[in-house]
Amino acid sequence: MKKIFLQISLLIILFFSLLGALNQVDWMRLFRVEKITKSTEKKLGDMFWNLYHSSKDEINNDSAHRIIDSLLMRICTSNKIERNTIKLHIVQSTEINAFALPDQHLVINTALIESCQNEMELCGVVAHEMAHMQLDHVMKKLIKEIGLSVLISITTGNAGAEKINEVIKLLTSSAYDRKLEKQADITAVDYLENSTINPAEFANFLARLGQKETLGSQYLSWINTHPDSKERAKYILAHSNKIAVKAKPVLAADSFSQLKKLLQ
Amino acid sequence: MMVLNKFFVEPTEHELEKASNSYLMSLIALMAGLPFPIINLLATLIFYVGNRKGTHFVRWHCTQALLSQLSLLFVNSYGFWWTISIIFTPEKISNHYIAYMLTAFVFNVFEMIATIYTAIQTRKGKHIEWWCYGNITNAICKP
Repeated sequence: MKKIFLQISLLIILFFSLLGALNQVDWMRLFRVEKITKSTEKKLGDMFWNLYHSSKDEINNDSAHRIIDSLLMRICTSNKIERNTIKLHIVQSTEINAFALPDQHLVINTALIESCQNEMELCGVVAHEMAHMQLDHVMKKLIKEIGLSVLISITTGNAGAEKINEVIKLLTSSAYDRKLEKQADITAVDYLENSTINPAEFANFLARLGQKETLGSQYLSWINTHPDSKERAKYILAHSNKIAVKAKPVLAADSFSQLKKLLQ
Repeated sequence: MMVLNKFFVEPTEHELEKASNSYLMSLIALMAGLPFPIINLLATLIFYVGNRKGTHFVRWHCTQALLSQLSLLFVNSYGFWWTISIIFTPEKISNHYIAYMLTAFVFNVFEMIATIYTAIQTRKGKHIEWWCYGNITNAICKP
């Protein structure tokens, strides 16, 4: 019996020794895992953005970009996120929507900006979408819903137009699953608090749009695709209460109203 | 790693075939259910249960085949659920993951080679006892 236990122990030691030895090798670099993933993501991001862009008008107003950029910069700097990696697009649309595409494309519709009462509410939405990007939810959702093989066939030009349209629809109009949404909300609260922006404003935005949602509106995409807005507002407040935030203004007094005017 | 021993009774042709099949069973299941490691174990377990009233020689080899599958089940299941979590959750491919999968692969390859070799040798009438697994089987499977 002693011999058996000794041999089992040796077998386990052998397994963990091999695991330990293999752990010493930098496989990620050797197999160029990150490079391959990044390159696929970049191709997908550019392709989906170009296709979406072809049917929508992008706002190229420098002043409007500068104002939203200062919001982004505040969140990025406070959370050690590289601002340069995020590609910001403001799109003319009556649909209240904002979404992330692969390769850190952040798309914000003008209707969403107009529906925000102040810049802090917009920061909440931006932080939520940034959380999806930073937590790699965009690619995970695509792989889960579409499949890795189809995604690769899209990048190599072997997928049909119907499939590509299906993916764009998925990215712009469908929500992530409840677990990922909650994770993005909680992370967004952390981002906001690190940036000394009060997350309660984000909760207010959700609660307000949640009320509109019950009245019914075809233009409330961002809310319609993110279920239980009131519940989300509640847990955002519950999470943010844990840390006291001494909110500091993000923009100069009239910058946000100026932004709204620029987008009209 | 393997010991060629003489079994204390001379097995019949039918016994040799059944004993050899117990190893082949796990290989066939491996091909059929590669993504689900539990299938290998289940297939070997069903074969083992089917032969538990068989002769000592057949039972002995069914037990050794089952034990080898059982140890791999833990290794492969961990790898399987890790892969699932990478696909469906925010978990990412990491150095640890690749190292673990390679370790699991090495152990699976060793087990597969040993299984094929033992299946052939058992069919030829040779009694092969694996290192470690042979001793455990001797402790479990009594005449």
